[in-house]
Amino acid sequence: MLNKLPSSISALLDARADGHSQPAGLYTREDVFEADIDVFFHKHWICVGLDCDVPEPGDATVIDIGKTSLILLRDDDGELRVLHNVCRHRGSRLLDPGKTIVSKLVCPYHTWTYELTGELSYAPHMGKDFDKDCRGLKRVTFKSIGGLIYVCLSDNPPEDIALLERTMVERLAPYDIRNAKIAHQVDVIEEGNWKLTMENNRECYHCSANHPELCVSFVDLDFGFDPETLSPEDREQAEEHFRLYQERTRAWEADGYPSAAVEQLVDCATNFRTQRLIIAGAGESQTHDATAASSKLLGRMTRKDLGDTHLWGHNSWNHFMGDHAVVAVVIPLSAGKTLVRTKWLVHEEAVEGIDYGLDKLTDVWNATTDQDADLVARSHAGTLDPAYQPGPYSRFSETNLDKFATWYIDRMRAHGY
Amino acid sequence: MDTRSPQVSIKKAAPAALWNPEEDDTLVCLDVQQETHDVKTFTFASPEGKRFAFKAGQYFLFDLDHNGEAESRCYSISSSPHRTNAFSVTVKRVPGGKISNWLHDTLVVGASVKANGPLGHFVRSETGRKLLLLSGGSGITPVMSILREIADSCEPANVVFMHGARRPQDLIFRDELACIARRLKGLRLHLLPETVAGEASWPGLSGRISAEYMRLAVPDIAERTVMCCGPAPFMAAARRIAGELGVPASNYVEESFDAAVIDEPEIPAVKEAVIKVFQVSFSKQARSIEVSGDQSVLSCAKKAGVRIPSSCANGVCGTCKSKLISGTVDMNHNGGIRQREIDAGLFLPCCSKPLSDLIIER
Repeated sequence: MLNKLPSSISALLDARADGHSQPAGLYTREDVFEADIDVFFHKHWICVGLDCDVPEPGDATVIDIGKTSLILLRDDDGELRVLHNVCRHRGSRLLDPGKTIVSKLVCPYHTWTYELTGELSYAPHMGKDFDKDCRGLKRVTFKSIGGLIYVCLSDNPPEDIALLERTMVERLAPYDIRNAKIAHQVDVIEEGNWKLTMENNRECYHCSANHPELCVSFVDLDFGFDPETLSPEDREQAEEHFRLYQERTRAWEADGYPSAAVEQLVDCATNFRTQRLIIAGAGESQTHDATAASSKLLGRMTRKDLGDTHLWGHNSWNHFMGDHAVVAVVIPLSAGKTLVRTKWLVHEEAVEGIDYGLDKLTDVWNATTDQDADLVARSHAGTLDPAYQPGPYSRFSETNLDKFATWYIDRMRAHGY
Repeated sequence: MDTRSPQVSIKKAAPAALWNPEEDDTLVCLDVQQETHDVKTFTFASPEGKRFAFKAGQYFLFDLDHNGEAESRCYSISSSPHRTNAFSVTVKRVPGGKISNWLHDTLVVGASVKANGPLGHFVRSETGRKLLLLSGGSGITPVMSILREIADSCEPANVVFMHGARRPQDLIFRDELACIARRLKGLRLHLLPETVAGEASWPGLSGRISAEYMRLAVPDIAERTVMCCGPAPFMAAARRIAGELGVPASNYVEESFDAAVIDEPEIPAVKEAVIKVFQVSFSKQARSIEVSGDQSVLSCAKKAGVRIPSSCANGVCGTCKSKLISGTVDMNHNGGIRQREIDAGLFLPCCSKPLSDLIIER
């Protein structure tokens, strides 16, 4: 293969030291941001939403990623569609960002009218000989994996999403996320680079100092610890915890609920990890007392003791529990601004005030998301400081960050940077 | 044998001999029935024994000699057209009513009256079997004739029979209706007294007809042909409600049962609904225009210089989608609007004709 001229970003990629956080420029530079959008949001599979974002025919929602605007909708046959939000006449945006109900997709500029399948059905004053057939809205490659919608804007979507698909379709089936109801949604704009947002989510080193609410139900030990620094008593507790894991995982799997960790984090295009995690305390759900927030369980679930099936991707994190699910999608807005969109899902027939209370459902992750936004803003401000120098990751509790940085550098190089 | 019954002499006519409105004008009263405390049914035959051929829903015009003065009144036939030897009219005593009181008080079996008929066009159309027969008070008579005909002929029926009265004891034909309802498949009976006074336990709702009641009682009203007869305020309310619930004017027929109305009153009523001109107001532009019932709101607005964004003009693109603050329209769209949007009060002026006065948020 012929050598290409190194991009201006190559030097930054080369400067990243193993086991260390990334050079400042990768978090702060505008050209890196542009490259990140190109590589990680246009050429990889990204999670953009849920089937149940558009439950009924005519429901549509617009999601903007970089300069790309996507329309996710449900057509008259009840099929999901993902279309580019660009009129085939002179390119005007068809729909505004956010949710709406449509009967046809009509460009507000010159009223070119498209069926919900994307087909152009009406284009006034274009002459009788005008061929509408090849002027449909451009379609976007997408997959609904157990009710989570992944899109890929590239003509060559990475094939290794297959493992994620195979794994999650089976694991998510009993939760019936496809037909869940979005009980609540919160958008938080973090003052930081999207990679800091993701890195913050990839470790729980910071949890005990920052997330008192989450730590009621979340076990930070699950994401690593240094056994040497634990007191003999704590070490015993930690060992007991891992014995419990083996036991629980075996029991869950014996009951037909795949639970063991599945990871595809380095040497791959599609980055994900899933595992059924133990919920601490009452053991049911990520709430302030770890008991279920909704008395009507998700999908076909009949028990509350199936822990928390977590799923990471490179722009999302998810927690599927017996009574509800929390789904978060991350969309970079600029080098230093990142949208975190969190949705809380309950059974489609669960009724607020009867089957669940909104406060109990959302308290923990509202608090956690706010705390994380603050941490990300602090990190980002620090990386802008000339005194910033990449520091070492903990080999016990930040191994996933090292893998994430390694994967990031590899993927940038794979796409020519 | 009731010795009080006077003898009535009716000749045996040839079976084929029919009452001929051109020649025949004399009827003899065969029977008087007390239906309710203030309603009587009078049954008449031809003295020559001729048979009657009429359509359910028609009426006879009676020429009555009232204290030496000629008075004319029309009364709908309440009996089934399958009973051809005689027909009945059912008359309510009206407080202060000259003729109804006179009939109640003086018309006895054996008496003769002059009458002209059958007349009227308040009859079932050939098409569309789904019916809502809607009556108030003594307006029940023509629709009772229709229902009796359906029951007699055992034809497949899809009929809602809705009758309103002041109190349960004012419900005319109450027992017979219950009896028909038990036997006639495809009949749904709704009786609605305004108040339940005088009845120990009324099993259903009470009150006046309303859109809410109709929506519950006749959810598919928009698919039915509505035939309505009753006092003028009842019919006005019924017409408005039917319009609101989407009954097209072409499927709505009414019979005026105001005893003072002599001449075929049903025709003007129907025509009025078809060609009526409605006021269409645009709330944000403080403009009001006239739109006749057979024109689209958009085309009239354009001609009058009221600007509504629009494009396809036939219900495809939805560009003209507007909020309808009040009134009802007949909309024929081509996919440019969703039922959910219609339910939320939106409509497409380009493919909608008014069924009432409208206020549009534009």
